[in-house]
Amino acid sequence: MNWRIRLTWWDWVLLTIMAIAFVLAVVRYAGGIGTVANINNAYPWGWWVGYGIMTMIAVGGVGFTITLLVEVFGVHRYHAFLRPAVLMALLCYSGAIIMLMVELGRPWMVWMILVSWAPTAALYEVGWCAFLYLSVLAFEFAQVPLEQLGWGRVLSITRVVYMPLMLLGVTLSHLHQSSLGTLMTLIPHKINVLWWSEQLPLLYLFSAMMAGPAMAILEYLAAARWLGFEPRMEMVAGLARIEAWLVALFLVFKLGDLVSRGATDAMLSGTWFALSFWVEVGFGLLLPLVLLIMPEVRHSRGGLAVASALIVAGVLLHRLNVTVIGLRVRHWETYVPSLGEIGITLGITAGAMFVFGALIRILPIHEELSPATERHAAAPAGALRRAPGVS
Amino acid sequence: MTTAVKPKAMIQDNTRCIGCRACMVACKSWNNRPADHTDFFAGPGYQNPRDLDANNYTLITFNEIVTGARPDWVFGRQLCMHCEHPACASACPTTALSKTALCPVVFNKNRCIGCRACMQACPFLIPKYDYENRAPLIHKCTFCADRVEAGLKPACATVCPTSAISFGDRDEMVAEAKRRIASAPGTYISYIYGLEEVGGTNVLHLSSVPFEQIGYVTGLPKTPMPDLTHRWLRVTPHFFALLYAVFAALTWITHRRSRKHEDGAKTS
Repeated sequence: MNWRIRLTWWDWVLLTIMAIAFVLAVVRYAGGIGTVANINNAYPWGWWVGYGIMTMIAVGGVGFTITLLVEVFGVHRYHAFLRPAVLMALLCYSGAIIMLMVELGRPWMVWMILVSWAPTAALYEVGWCAFLYLSVLAFEFAQVPLEQLGWGRVLSITRVVYMPLMLLGVTLSHLHQSSLGTLMTLIPHKINVLWWSEQLPLLYLFSAMMAGPAMAILEYLAAARWLGFEPRMEMVAGLARIEAWLVALFLVFKLGDLVSRGATDAMLSGTWFALSFWVEVGFGLLLPLVLLIMPEVRHSRGGLAVASALIVAGVLLHRLNVTVIGLRVRHWETYVPSLGEIGITLGITAGAMFVFGALIRILPIHEELSPATERHAAAPAGALRRAPGVS
Repeated sequence: MTTAVKPKAMIQDNTRCIGCRACMVACKSWNNRPADHTDFFAGPGYQNPRDLDANNYTLITFNEIVTGARPDWVFGRQLCMHCEHPACASACPTTALSKTALCPVVFNKNRCIGCRACMQACPFLIPKYDYENRAPLIHKCTFCADRVEAGLKPACATVCPTSAISFGDRDEMVAEAKRRIASAPGTYISYIYGLEEVGGTNVLHLSSVPFEQIGYVTGLPKTPMPDLTHRWLRVTPHFFALLYAVFAALTWITHRRSRKHEDGAKTS
């Protein structure tokens, strides 16, 4: 294993963004949240929660979605997506935790959640689940470096508990992905009818499941391009087919929910809310669905990248619509995210991308780049590890 | 012999309010809130400040309303409603906010992590934050819980020169509010704000004009807000157990199949 990597120009771009965000974070800690952020008494959450936490966690859903597909449903032909998915999830959740440390007013008190008993609070459940799931992700991913270091005894211990912990991770993900939606069900009077629904927990869960394969495809194609391996397009097209089904089912569920709540008038009204709604549904669901239905697109790198990026952007817009755009409190108070708020979230995102980019060059994350590994025609239990006998 | 603790309540009778803001001063004084420099804003009349904030736990609102032939000031008051089923406390992941037996919804600053879920949750937009502070805290009316605990009235209720603020057991206060409306139907609209809002509150407001005209949040459900999240959260443990079992069973089946497949491949 070679720990040295040559930094490319985009590594330097990411490092620059991280440095700017670091300065902004120093200002935030020195002078309080108000010095960098526009969040206020009427809009206490804003971009940090809408993007930095809600979207990061939704995108981090790639971990449990792909694990569910490969390990639980046993569809081993998608095994190549598993390691990158777990690493992406680990970094997204770490990013969300870092965001939380910036966003919380008293981050040094965050441990208080773990010594409290507050079963009525959705955030309590989110806090516990995310904490446990992050630990599971770290454990799952740790197998990769452990294998490289050749710590056989530690590895054999971890493999015994891999299955129950993997299942725990998948289950915890279902809970906290939906609980983030439960959080928002508490304020029907603040969220526009287009987005407030009793079904928000399920909408959050299903959209995270939909974001998962899109992220996996996007990452795989990007890695193929930048690391210079030949993508297995049959495999990617297969996952894209599953993704088309997920988008279609989510679309039906979302529209069905809107119609059953009688929100069709709001959909057709000439408001900014309706515009944001149609951008979300049109560009985040309908357009990618049409694209993914076409076999030519499913077998085209460019087409798949566009469709996947649209889906991920659509999930981002959905979270923003629920937490920022569709949320109105008082007519005279407004909220538009500040450059400082956006800068810090960009820095965290850049950090996650930088670490990801560095690790996929150091560790055998992509099977295509580690020829020593036999292809997993039928992967063994604990499939995150390589084929037996290699380590 | 001990008697069961009876929940307290306040009546804010806006028809008696003369807008002197003595309640605001008494509140600042008892809760040690600093005075702030304020400016008139492009809003209604002499109201100042514009809204509740970290230094102002209660506020008399000045509303210009045409009553009869001429415009007049109709006062309203903002303060924590001290809900019977507080959304803020239900949303708090560390139980920093809690409802006491005597009724005040109190804030324990030693448990707060600063997530601001209470601010997001409150249907009356009451909890406020000091964003400029490096170690910020939630700020809201305390119902002077320490005074009430000691058998005293809340500070605001002691200073009101026109008895617009009454304090007592909630059932007595409800009866008193109904009595006032019945005795002077021309003065009051027939509505007690807080009697049923979000499952009932421990501050009851009376008014001469509809509440939406004086800036109150109206159209709230009569059911407790925490019910909305409770219906999902109470099934969570069952959901967890069920999902785990289903996924474990599925994993076992699929891996058994792939093991058989491998064995078959070896023998053939």
